[in-house]
Amino acid sequence: MPRFSDVILPGLGVTGLVLTGALAFSTAGRDRAEFEASEAALNAVRAELDAAEARIAELNLATVTAEELEDAMERLAAFEARLAARPEGVDEAEPDPAPVVSVMLAGNAETGETLFRECRACHQVGAGAKNGVGPHLNLLFGRAAASVPDFRYSDSLKRAAANGLEWHADTLSQYIEDPRTFASGTRMSYAGMKDAQDRADLLAYLRTFSDDPSNIPEADPTAQGTDHEVDPEILALKGDPEYGEYLSSECTTCHQASGGDDGIPSIVLWPEESFVMAMHAYKDQVRPNQVMQMIAGRLSNDEIAALAAYFADLEK
Amino acid sequence: MKLNRRSFIGSVAAASALAAPMVQAAGHGKPRVVVVGGGAGGATAARYIAKDSKGEIDVTLIEPTRKYYTCFFSNLYLGGFKNIEDIGHGYGTLASDYGVNVVHDWAVGVDRDAKTVALAGGSSVPYDKLILSPGIDFVDGAVPGWDISAQNAMPHAYKAGSQSELLRAQLMAMPEGGTYVMVAPPNPFRCPPGPYERISMVAHYLKANNPTAKIIIADPKPKFSKQALFEEGWNNHYGGMVERIGPDFGGENVEVDPGAMTVNIDGEVIEADVCNVIPAMKAGRIAELAGVTDGNWAPVNAADLSTKADPDIHVLGDAAQQGDMPKSGFSANSQAKVCANAVRGALTGSRVFPAKFANTCWSLIDTNDGVKVGATYEATPEKIAKVDGFISQTGESAEVRKKTYEESEGWYTGITADMFG
Ligand SMILES: Cc1cc2nc3c(=O)[nH]c(=O)nc-3n(C[C@H](O)[C@H](O)[C@H](O)COP(=O)(O)OP(=O)(O)OC[C@H]3O[C@@H](n4cnc5c(N)ncnc54)[C@H](O)[C@@H]3O)c2cc1C
Repeated sequence: MPRFSDVILPGLGVTGLVLTGALAFSTAGRDRAEFEASEAALNAVRAELDAAEARIAELNLATVTAEELEDAMERLAAFEARLAARPEGVDEAEPDPAPVVSVMLAGNAETGETLFRECRACHQVGAGAKNGVGPHLNLLFGRAAASVPDFRYSDSLKRAAANGLEWHADTLSQYIEDPRTFASGTRMSYAGMKDAQDRADLLAYLRTFSDDPSNIPEADPTAQGTDHEVDPEILALKGDPEYGEYLSSECTTCHQASGGDDGIPSIVLWPEESFVMAMHAYKDQVRPNQVMQMIAGRLSNDEIAALAAYFADLEK
Repeated sequence: MKLNRRSFIGSVAAASALAAPMVQAAGHGKPRVVVVGGGAGGATAARYIAKDSKGEIDVTLIEPTRKYYTCFFSNLYLGGFKNIEDIGHGYGTLASDYGVNVVHDWAVGVDRDAKTVALAGGSSVPYDKLILSPGIDFVDGAVPGWDISAQNAMPHAYKAGSQSELLRAQLMAMPEGGTYVMVAPPNPFRCPPGPYERISMVAHYLKANNPTAKIIIADPKPKFSKQALFEEGWNNHYGGMVERIGPDFGGENVEVDPGAMTVNIDGEVIEADVCNVIPAMKAGRIAELAGVTDGNWAPVNAADLSTKADPDIHVLGDAAQQGDMPKSGFSANSQAKVCANAVRGALTGSRVFPAKFANTCWSLIDTNDGVKVGATYEATPEKIAKVDGFISQTGESAEVRKKTYEESEGWYTGITADMFG
């Protein structure tokens, strides 16, 4: 499946997330024809995205990406609308195969620094930054909304904070795109930054004044690349054991290839189906272990099948 | 910084290299991979390349020590949870079961034009691909008053082994009600939660054996990893024993006098019974000698850990400047496997799969009170970028914490088997 997360501009600075258009639909309970129609529509969009992606790869990305992506987003929006118009009676209880399309723009921190001029009258950032008309923006990523000491926030932002609003790439992007829509009573009198690439650049610049994950591993991500590709016939997938062997090296950091277990269970010589089911239980966050949820969460179904095929036969 | 100059540094090494028998030059016969440093990154890379190429690639591992003591779990040794033998690992299996040519020597220079590595013992080893995973060295003059000659009086114990044993002995010899001072390092450094796990383990020991003792941390950083978890733990388990002086109170303005065993923190002189100085860090020196560093670290490409300076030299682990991954054993091991896959592909045409990285750092706060932080990463054109992550929560049940600790035990067995076979 084409992924816009592959569209990362070469030669640019910090990566920032701008748009994550995730659209999902459930196929359970629908009749076959309808499902096939949706499939066809999805395939058409896939082909379009493929073409766009190929073109982007061909061209000098720095100059065309914003347009290309806007274009792609329009088509995605149209597709979303078509899906929204689907007939009632879809079984929501079964969160079945959901194609997820995630669109990400890389931000250029240098361009962002120039864009920050629009903000500088009210916001300071960097060494010695203090509150002004607006709060300072150091350590912004990952902090709770309305939480800078000694700054008087609007009730609107305080309410949002009480409801758990935190500033991350996605919430910040939404906020600066259209502040009044995001928080109607905000005192930030700024019309909004409509261009997705501009927001990516600005956020890439601001990101450099927050904790770096290499120093504080729990700090906010700088990439947004997970896309879980899902196939309706998970269990029927035939795994590629050679790919599985490569992927397994991630497992053997903790799980012993010899099958030994102390503190961490053995995973060798399981029936493939049990392996696949267990991995999906982590992926869907049904099983609780955080490490396994994280690892399984970014494995595609093909990758899980590949691992299952590899471990099922592992003799040492 | 571009350094294309030959890096045969040190005339002794260069002279003896001439006299030594030269291994056959690269370009004939089997492709050759030389790995410098048999730690978390290097041992893993050597093992995976040898294992997966099934004899198609000659792998030489250069590592001066006969036994590698893991820094991971060395804090648990300080706290009395492990014996020193528990954290020592030999290279025998890499040689016997995987056919890795293990050479116990120091690499002292890299000739990038001739593609050879000079060893302190005088010989020279050719390579088609060179993998450097030399860990860290300390920045000269980072803590005024301290240099490597003072490491006996004021140990760092940030390379495990005899330093860990020394620090443990000093801890046990502390007078009743004595003072343990840690000078914590600035960013970036190996194992972001490491100093704070160490404080927990020292406090654990002292609480049982010397309960009126005090622990002082002079810290140049405003924030540190798992801070809320550690502070909660110190409060719950070791109330009143640990005092941290951050940069707001002069924690970055520190000078030591190893002769007098005093620490001057922003003008206030403290008499220390044990003083654990962890200075600022940089890439292991061989990376600099190879000319692949820029400043303190070696910039690398995310997809295969090749250096920006030379596509045939890869740098793994702590020495690499790769982006978002913390400097940890888990990270080094994860990078090694991506690198091994790419290097093998380049030399033998085997399949190269997309880079995937992960890290989890477990820390022990007190008996059965384990916490963890982890994330996944991907290769972007600029760097290894963090995708997603998790961290233990404050206020978790004792049961969850115990499970987390048990998991860390399992991980230790897993990763050491993954490194050494
Ligand atoms: C107290 C402490 C606790 C830690 N806890 C954890 C933890 O719980 N989990 C975790 O994941 N990480 C932990 N770490 C971090 C981890 O130890 C390092 O990040 C990891 O070892 C880095 O791997 P590396 O291959 O880069 O270097 P190292 O493992 O240090 O290996 C480098 C090797 O290179 C050799 N070498 C250096 N120069 C040369 C040369 N010129 N020629 C030949 N050989 C050379 C050295 O002898 C050494 O064996 C901890 C670190 C410390 C200090």
